[in-house]
Amino acid sequence: MHEALLTLGFALVTASILALSAVAFTLEYAVTNVANVSHGEILTAGAYAAYLVHQRTGSAIAAAIAASIAGGLVALAMHSAVIGPFIRFGASPTIVFIATLGMSFVIQNLLVIFFGAANVAYTLDPGAPQQLGPFLLTPLDVEIVASAIAITLALYLIIARTRFGKALRAVSQNRELARVTGINATRVAGATFFLAGLIAGYAGFVLAESVGSFNPYFGFSFFLITLTAAVAGGLGRAFGTMVGAVLVGLILEFAGGYISASYNLAFAFAILAIVILVRPRGLFTNARRTVFE
Amino acid sequence: MTAYLVSILTEGAIFGIMALGLNVIWGWSGDFDLAYYGYIAVGAYMTLVLTVGPAVAPAQYILGLQLPYPLAVAIAVISAMAVALIVGLIALRHLRGIYFSIVTLGAVYVMYVFAGQYVPLFDGYNGLSGLFDPMGDWFSLDYLSYQYFFMGLSLAMFVVVYLLMWRISGSRFGMALRTLREDERAAAAFGRDIYRLKLKGYVLGAGVGGFAGALFAAYLSAFNPSAWSPVEVIVLYAAVLVGGRGNIVGVALGVLIMGMLVQESTRFLPSVPGLGQLNTLHPQVLLALRGAIIGLVLILFLRFRPQGLLPERRYVDRQPALDATPGNA
Repeated sequence: MHEALLTLGFALVTASILALSAVAFTLEYAVTNVANVSHGEILTAGAYAAYLVHQRTGSAIAAAIAASIAGGLVALAMHSAVIGPFIRFGASPTIVFIATLGMSFVIQNLLVIFFGAANVAYTLDPGAPQQLGPFLLTPLDVEIVASAIAITLALYLIIARTRFGKALRAVSQNRELARVTGINATRVAGATFFLAGLIAGYAGFVLAESVGSFNPYFGFSFFLITLTAAVAGGLGRAFGTMVGAVLVGLILEFAGGYISASYNLAFAFAILAIVILVRPRGLFTNARRTVFE
Repeated sequence: MTAYLVSILTEGAIFGIMALGLNVIWGWSGDFDLAYYGYIAVGAYMTLVLTVGPAVAPAQYILGLQLPYPLAVAIAVISAMAVALIVGLIALRHLRGIYFSIVTLGAVYVMYVFAGQYVPLFDGYNGLSGLFDPMGDWFSLDYLSYQYFFMGLSLAMFVVVYLLMWRISGSRFGMALRTLREDERAAAAFGRDIYRLKLKGYVLGAGVGGFAGALFAAYLSAFNPSAWSPVEVIVLYAAVLVGGRGNIVGVALGVLIMGMLVQESTRFLPSVPGLGQLNTLHPQVLLALRGAIIGLVLILFLRFRPQGLLPERRYVDRQPALDATPGNA
């Protein structure tokens, strides 16, 4: 029982990071109807920015902010340079999917050119593990989980209560109809990408912290798990995606803890394949399709 | 210089066979399959375990036979097709578009993780090695003449596969695959069994990929998880796209352009005045530069010339008598 609770504690941390990454991915999907394969590179950019700023300033908070901003800018650039033009040109979702795969390849290789392919060690002092309710967590773990919850709440408020949130929901439900009512769909999608990038960049920072190192390919492997969570939750649905992230985080940590962590990716994809085959529109779907439901 | 030429011609021929196989799946059948490099890997791994003999501890792998190379290649191709059949049976049943791509991406990562982690299969991260100059002793060739022999063999195999693809391209089967790409419902309305046809095309393409993998294993004389990665399939997609998706002449041209021009030109970049420092930056820089260029070319072609340099010829109905528009009947 004790062992299981320990694993549950780790799963909570994994799930928090996964939820941040997956919710950002699903926001990108919601406003463009395109699965952005280069989403992982936003996390990688965040990790590199955090590392560089942390080295210069020595402040973890500055590093977190830098990661967030770098992620936002990279995501915005992805939308303005590739995804947006492709959509305006009328390319099919599969074609844009291939283009984002190409973009992911370009960014990974540019990072190798500038920073080299070697692993960069990057850890914060996690502090002494403490008993928190039934779990044994370090203060760093607690910060990760708490910040994930705070970001999710803030995101909910933005989407549910602001004018921009309303426009976002409109574009995600029906892009053409939204445009007819005077919403600049391209600008809303760009702003959504920036918002998603802020979250994903921060996720890259906390992921690098909790793993302890990163390299130019680090975001891509996490993207594969993100994809599983997002598809399980239903592509384009923020709330379902979070539940999907928690489920996938739990399964990965328990499978990793009891079988072997080296098969994590294989497990994630086994789940993904089963979900797609059995419930292709996500585990928690009804007929309506909105960002937050 | 000759040795260099021999090596790029051999690599180019093998790369060309890979691209021709991919063209069946993406060019004709129209499915963006991300598992394709997995079938190449299955072909390469199987060829090695069938030819290099029993494992010597601490190495361990399955089979460990010493079959003659051509027989091993045949079994390797069948293995690649069998794996593709399993993946295809699952992925082609209902899934299209990005869902198909995502499931095949999953499939290839499962293969990659198992090949790398499950040591009893192909010796994990160490991989397999020891296939030296297959068929060389049949003709008692020395090291140098073997290089020429293998280049000739690879080029001949490319020609054989090309001619085969040329026959299939104009056959009823090839046409039927294209109708699936253009309009599945119309094909179904004309009585085509979509699932079966797609599956046939998928397994055929994977078999060609496995064959290329078998040649690749002999060329490298070893294969391990650092010799391949699922995302390398992007390079093949770039070649098919640039040349002309669906058109085998175009695919051959794409291989020539991407494989030889882009891949090899970066090798000469440091000799361009002013770029000499490229070599001193980082050992992987040239490789990464190559990757970035390939990705960029892929995006630019998708956006500005998705039909490629040599577009597929549209088939025109030459029987106007069958015109069935209302008013003409």
